[in-house]
Amino acid sequence: MAVIETAELTKRYGKRHANSVLALDRVSFTVDEGQVFGFLGPNGSGKTTTIGLLLGIINPTGGSFQLFGASDSKGLLAARLRVGATLETPNFYPYMSGRDNLRITAAIKRVDRPRIEQCLELVGLAERAKHRFRTYSLGMKQRLALAATMLNDPELIILDEPANGLDPQGMHEIREIIGILAGRGKTIFLSSHLLGEVERTCSHVAIVRKGRIVAQGSVEEVVREGRAAKLRAENEDALVAALDGYSSATSVHRTDNGVIVKLKHQDFADVSRYLADQGIYLSYLAPHRQSLEQVFLELTRGGPDLMTEIAK
Amino acid sequence: MKTLSALIRIEAIKAVKRPAFWITIGSFAALNAINVVDFIRTARRVEEFSFSLPESWPEISSILPTAGTLFVGVLIILLFAPEFSWRTGRQNVIDGLSKTRLYTAKVIVLAGLVTLFVAMVVCMGVVGNLFSPSEPSGEIFRAADYSLLAGCALTLLLFGSLGLMLSALIRSPGPAIGVFILCFLVEKSVIELMERAGDFTRRIAVYFPSNVAEDIGSDLAHNPEALARVNVSVTETGLEPFEFLDVEILVAIILAYSTLFLVTGLLSMRARDL
Repeated sequence: MAVIETAELTKRYGKRHANSVLALDRVSFTVDEGQVFGFLGPNGSGKTTTIGLLLGIINPTGGSFQLFGASDSKGLLAARLRVGATLETPNFYPYMSGRDNLRITAAIKRVDRPRIEQCLELVGLAERAKHRFRTYSLGMKQRLALAATMLNDPELIILDEPANGLDPQGMHEIREIIGILAGRGKTIFLSSHLLGEVERTCSHVAIVRKGRIVAQGSVEEVVREGRAAKLRAENEDALVAALDGYSSATSVHRTDNGVIVKLKHQDFADVSRYLADQGIYLSYLAPHRQSLEQVFLELTRGGPDLMTEIAK
Repeated sequence: MKTLSALIRIEAIKAVKRPAFWITIGSFAALNAINVVDFIRTARRVEEFSFSLPESWPEISSILPTAGTLFVGVLIILLFAPEFSWRTGRQNVIDGLSKTRLYTAKVIVLAGLVTLFVAMVVCMGVVGNLFSPSEPSGEIFRAADYSLLAGCALTLLLFGSLGLMLSALIRSPGPAIGVFILCFLVEKSVIELMERAGDFTRRIAVYFPSNVAEDIGSDLAHNPEALARVNVSVTETGLEPFEFLDVEILVAIILAYSTLFLVTGLLSMRARDL
């Protein structure tokens, strides 16, 4: 069953065409029940806008979406009570204690008071619950946001950069909590920059760049889409030179134990044939599995490398 | 009904924990007390001056359409506009409240503030009456007093609605309060200009919010006998007699203005991203 389904979701900020910004351009994806879905993209790529649209705080310019099968405003309002979400920074009343802030969330989500204490315990904030939110460290604020998210024992949890600004210990704690929730069969929609974590935690991912989805599917599928091969031959200099002239190669680079070639296709036989025609016989040819981070960086790279430009 | 009680509970938690709420309420209560104490002291010093209920309701309630409107307007801005700067309104919507319900909750707060402010003035009047040297006449309210207090409540609603609309449009407490006060000053200046410009513009100026609020907050609009008495002495001095629109018309105008402000705020809430 699809928990989230978007179809051609579009958001343009600003009315005047010249100054308007197309934040989301016909974004379509589906998150099924029980999936841990990573939503990845560089800053300003449209991740938060997508989440904002799903949560009803941003009005779409075009397209549609469904939450738990509901698409009309009344249905969406009911569906959102089955969701627990945080967006960007934790937003709470600074003059109120952590517990009082959760009382407000509990009243909105129609949750009993004992659940507040359970959630405070779970995120390790029970002892500081009576202190004002404004006195909390960033890690405590994030944990309070997570407690608020879990208050109604939601079926769908949406977390936007939950580890932002946290120290390694805080990140570890957040990761553990996400692991626990995923273990309970919750559907999790996670926007994050921590690609290693996403690769380890998520079952599915979508990569968004400049408001458009450039890759999506299971983590395995997306990584496989990297289409790279590792090659070895007796004369590696000749191998590199030959690959430089191969029209289907997008990049070639040497490593300690072979040459990695990125391809426009996955037809490794064609690579072998081409090299044989060039008089190079391979001693080793295997698909090269890229990390999610490598795939992400390739898919989201736009324009010249900033650091290179600065160095120049 | 469940939703309504949840909205009231949510807003009650937000308000009672907010120091700005108690400071504003306390300031108004203090101002109100000073007003009543001043009446009692004058009644003790000046033999001709009487401070007793129900005759003194016009004096007691005069704080509502004046300072009261300013306090309610500013307080509703302080309770609503920060929801945008703190992004808590956005979080409320994420947690499951719709934008419309979030706004409805603030309209409920406004209704609560209007009731609270009127109740404070009534309580202060009744308590002050106990300490007054003037002879009480037996009853506390006449029909005209109920009408006057209801009119005063409407003036609070009018300027509270303006505050609510400005909060939704401007989304920041400081600038919203600034514009709110500016509205008062600009309107006053425009009214003055229109009253000087001629008969036609003077007749139009009568329908401006401040003038309507001033009229409905005056006991003369609610008490035809008192108006007739005052007008006799006014005409004797050669001045033009006072004229008021019918109370029903004043009520209709105030409700129309309030609806306009509230609907504008709601439309802004619904149309704009949080």
